[in-house]
Amino acid sequence: MLYQAEKAPHRKAWPPLIEGIDISMNFGNTRAVSRVSIAGHAGSVHAVTGENGAGKSTFMKILAGVYRPSAGELRMHGKTITLRNPRSAREHGISTIFQEFTLLPNLTIAENIFIGRESGRRGWINRKQMHERASRTLNSLGVDIDPGTLAGSLSVSEQQLVEIAKGITTDASVFIFDEPTAALNGPEVKKLETLIKDLQARGKSIFYISHRLDEIFRLCDTVTVLKDGQHVLTTPCSELDEHTLVTLMVGRPIEDLFPHRSSGQLSSALRCERLNSGPGRSAVNLNLNRREIVGLVGLEGQGQREIIRAAAGLMQTPHATIEKFNSVGKAHPVDPSAGVARRLAHGIAFVPGDRKAEGLYLDLSVAENVVIGTYRDSALYGHASAQSSLVEDVIARIGLKVKHPKQSVTTLSGGNQQKVLLARALIADIDILLIEEPTRGVDVGAKADIYRLLRGFADEGGAVLVGSSELTELIGLCDRILVVRAGTIVAEIDGTQASEETVMSHALGVSQRQSTEKTQ
Amino acid sequence: MNPFGPNSRSGLKPYVVSMPIALIVGLSFAATDFLNRGNLSNLSAQIAPLAIATLGQLLVALVGGIDLSVGSVISLTTCVASASVGSTAGIALALLLGCVIGIANGLAVSVARMHPIIATLSSMTFVQGLALYWLPTAGGLAPPFLPAFINSTIAGLPVSILLLLGCVIVVGWLLARTRFGLRLYAVGAHPRNASLNGVTDRQIIVAAYAAGGLFAACAGVVLTGRIGAGDPVIGAQFALATITAVALGGVQFSGGIGSAVGAFCGVLTLGLMRNGMNLVGIDAFLQSAATGVLLLIAISFQRRTIIGF
Amino acid sequence: MPAITVQQTPDSQRAARRLYGFLSNQPPSWYGLGILLLVAWATRPALLSPLLLLAILKQGAILGVVTIGQSLVVRSRSIDLSISGVVVVVIWIVTSGAIPLPVPALVFLALLSGALIGTINGLIITRLRASAVVVTLAMAIVLTGSVVAASQYHQPGETPDLLRIVGSGRIGSLPIAAIVWVAVLIPFALSLRTCVFGRYLDAVGSNPTAATVSGIPSLRVMSITHIFSGLTTALAALLLVGSVSVGNTNIGQDMVLNSLAAVILGGVSFGSGKGRMLGPAVGAFMLTYLFSLLIGFGLGAAGQAMVQGAIIALAALVFTFRSR
Repeated sequence: MLYQAEKAPHRKAWPPLIEGIDISMNFGNTRAVSRVSIAGHAGSVHAVTGENGAGKSTFMKILAGVYRPSAGELRMHGKTITLRNPRSAREHGISTIFQEFTLLPNLTIAENIFIGRESGRRGWINRKQMHERASRTLNSLGVDIDPGTLAGSLSVSEQQLVEIAKGITTDASVFIFDEPTAALNGPEVKKLETLIKDLQARGKSIFYISHRLDEIFRLCDTVTVLKDGQHVLTTPCSELDEHTLVTLMVGRPIEDLFPHRSSGQLSSALRCERLNSGPGRSAVNLNLNRREIVGLVGLEGQGQREIIRAAAGLMQTPHATIEKFNSVGKAHPVDPSAGVARRLAHGIAFVPGDRKAEGLYLDLSVAENVVIGTYRDSALYGHASAQSSLVEDVIARIGLKVKHPKQSVTTLSGGNQQKVLLARALIADIDILLIEEPTRGVDVGAKADIYRLLRGFADEGGAVLVGSSELTELIGLCDRILVVRAGTIVAEIDGTQASEETVMSHALGVSQRQSTEKTQ
Repeated sequence: MNPFGPNSRSGLKPYVVSMPIALIVGLSFAATDFLNRGNLSNLSAQIAPLAIATLGQLLVALVGGIDLSVGSVISLTTCVASASVGSTAGIALALLLGCVIGIANGLAVSVARMHPIIATLSSMTFVQGLALYWLPTAGGLAPPFLPAFINSTIAGLPVSILLLLGCVIVVGWLLARTRFGLRLYAVGAHPRNASLNGVTDRQIIVAAYAAGGLFAACAGVVLTGRIGAGDPVIGAQFALATITAVALGGVQFSGGIGSAVGAFCGVLTLGLMRNGMNLVGIDAFLQSAATGVLLLIAISFQRRTIIGF
Repeated sequence: MPAITVQQTPDSQRAARRLYGFLSNQPPSWYGLGILLLVAWATRPALLSPLLLLAILKQGAILGVVTIGQSLVVRSRSIDLSISGVVVVVIWIVTSGAIPLPVPALVFLALLSGALIGTINGLIITRLRASAVVVTLAMAIVLTGSVVAASQYHQPGETPDLLRIVGSGRIGSLPIAAIVWVAVLIPFALSLRTCVFGRYLDAVGSNPTAATVSGIPSLRVMSITHIFSGLTTALAALLLVGSVSVGNTNIGQDMVLNSLAAVILGGVSFGSGKGRMLGPAVGAFMLTYLFSLLIGFGLGAAGQAMVQGAIIALAALVFTFRSR
């Protein structure tokens, strides 16, 4: 459905204050946003929602001047505008409150509000004036913090208020909030909602990017759903309910990429209790069985990344108890404060999600990247055998297409690079694989190979934990899916029974409805 | 904003201020000659060039950099100011050269993206060569008014102390009251956020290094006044001395935290330590070893996330 | 039937492209050396005489040995500026006569102290996370100050004969110092290619985050490079003592700067190890040759310093532009 303005009699002002028309954004070969049009009106709170990776953040960053769109046009008050950088967006009156704030931690609130356009004549700073103006703005927002406080000592909620104050003092007409309540508690969320309603009353055009459906329905008058970088629907919130919204966000045909699940006796491989799921969050218990692929899923920042890294030994989890069971069922305690190397000695390997930053050695060849997984038992002065036959074995097993194992890793496609990381893990003698985002940035063919590999590993007696944000992948691949929300495992779904809607509903916290009414 | 509070970017921890005070008190009791007029005026004359150069190093450290070429600029200044016997244009030229070298450093770091260590190490070496070229051995004659002025007193206080205090006040006020000062802090703490807020980090960084070079040249002028001639190697110890003083003053080399008062306290601590060691009769070379140990201790208090370089 | 023509890149073009790729990946030190030899041949062919080149080799051996350690340290993303301090300590141990032990024992003690200083550097840098630049510079000052203070009232000692033979002697026309250099360089180069430490060093230099995530002991690797640097510096100091040119008091300082320049010219930079061991070695030889040439053309201490500074800056610029 296309964006249809005529169906919106409740809008306060017409024409739109700001519009993105036919916006597309490419990053290299990936199309993050594809011909999306969204308009914001004065006095309207417009939600933009979708799954992880749907393109909502990217679209908003285009409005914020962080990215320049590959195609499409931006218009404000009917006139075409070009945003060269975030400062230019600010000068046009677009104020964005990102998840990562742009405050300077060692500057006071007043200084942060006015940095770049400080009050005072020719080079001097009139601190008194800045202080007064900051006080006034903060008061108008109903806040009572001393503008002389350093930004670095503020809570997340207070920092957010400062960002909003910045926007007000620049007389912004558009406010964009990117997942604003992610780090706020109950009362702080209420305060934010009051502020947003206040901005709305002042005639601002507000965009609200979020996946918190209760907030969307409480606060916003319009909602746009994006999926896979494309526009799905824009409609008044009054014409929608939560379940329909979830269905719009997901609901794809699940491709035939996945190998058959095996059935059979399950024996315990890893038992973790009281794993750290993030600062200030309660601990979780996690059990992995041999021959099983378990999925771990949640919306951004819900704790699934911390859980898998705590199990892997990358994150501190001092109060946990971890036990590894070998193939005959004997339990070996694992020291929770020991790191990745010790985990490897137990046969537990971790493959990170960001292969360029945390996984690959871009200066080294494919063979070198793979074989480095075999040295953990050798002393530093020991011989580092190239193990070429073993390397070639693993490369063949994985289906890694290289002209020569000595070629540089940078020449490989995303899928093949991911396979290199897997090869490094598999070449070592491991039986538990903890892997984040196994197919991010990977083409379809390589995806199928990787799924086959993971299933094969499990069939041979291994245990796999897959952290992923691709629902279709988890549903197709995993035997069990654990859904994480707010640092706890809120649901454990059988892989064969799972659907995108059920998983997403649990992730969002939407109440379940009967499985018979699935699609709308 | 209370400069001593936890919510402060001055870097003034208790040890920063208490160290010089403790040293003053301690030395007054331990060394009989400490409080006598001659020693104090000697001390202030020694501290003055170091303090002025340290203020320059402070500005560079605030933007997250480091300047190893400070010492060579000081050497060069003494040579340039004394080479053409008696000419005052030499002083102006020396100050200009200091600025130019600073700008070159700043461009290398911000535009060419060279690491500050490599950039200032190479300029340090180059400028040292330049100083040797200008004046191969110690000699020449400083323009007569300069030593006369630097070594005189105004209203009973040595001129060097007045210059020192004047510079501290100027820098302190620059950091607290001007746009440039505020933007220095911003760029040092978080260059990316600073540029997202409209502060061009390149300009600020070049300006900081230029100021560093200028202050080093000023320190060199004061030093020329003291010794009355030029010396191409006299500045060598200043590089690490200014770094030590800055670190002792609570300034973080990662950027964004520090103050003129803190830098001054660091200079005091260093100067008092050296003075004390002199009075007690410790060998000059052992003194430099002790300064090295002090630097090791001071640098271990810097907060860092990266390891190694 | 339409003929389907397929455009093939001619073999010659492909070969040329591959050659270009190979050449542009070589460290600048080879090009520098080539240019120097060319300039020498064009202006004063006598400078290419084997006798002179062997003399350069002998002198360059000292820098070359230091450069081995420095290149390891730089590859692990650290730096060693304590070289001048280690040199002073070793010279004192071996010539002052203050330690009543036979010469071989003194040599062993010298190497041991180099390793110890490297260990301390490594500990402070990795455990206390202090800046490597400042730590090693401070260490240099502490060492120099302490040693000079302890020895300044004593007569400068005699160089032991054993060291004089190693430092200045020749076998045939081959300088022993050069043989020592090669004898250290080759095992280092070979073992780094084949032992686990070498692989880990590659990894830590290439991507320290990935190294930590995959369980490589990055801190230990960095500390070990500092220990090696201390050792090679001590060895170079022993060669220095034995060579005739001990007159220059600034030689420690020169060694630091030149070792850095040689390393950067050799294609090794912070984290990247593309130049391996050979690049910096050629860089060391090239720099020694360059300075001999310049001194021969009448360049004084001032000019030498300016050239040193310019080379480091240029080498760093070249590296920055290459990696863009």
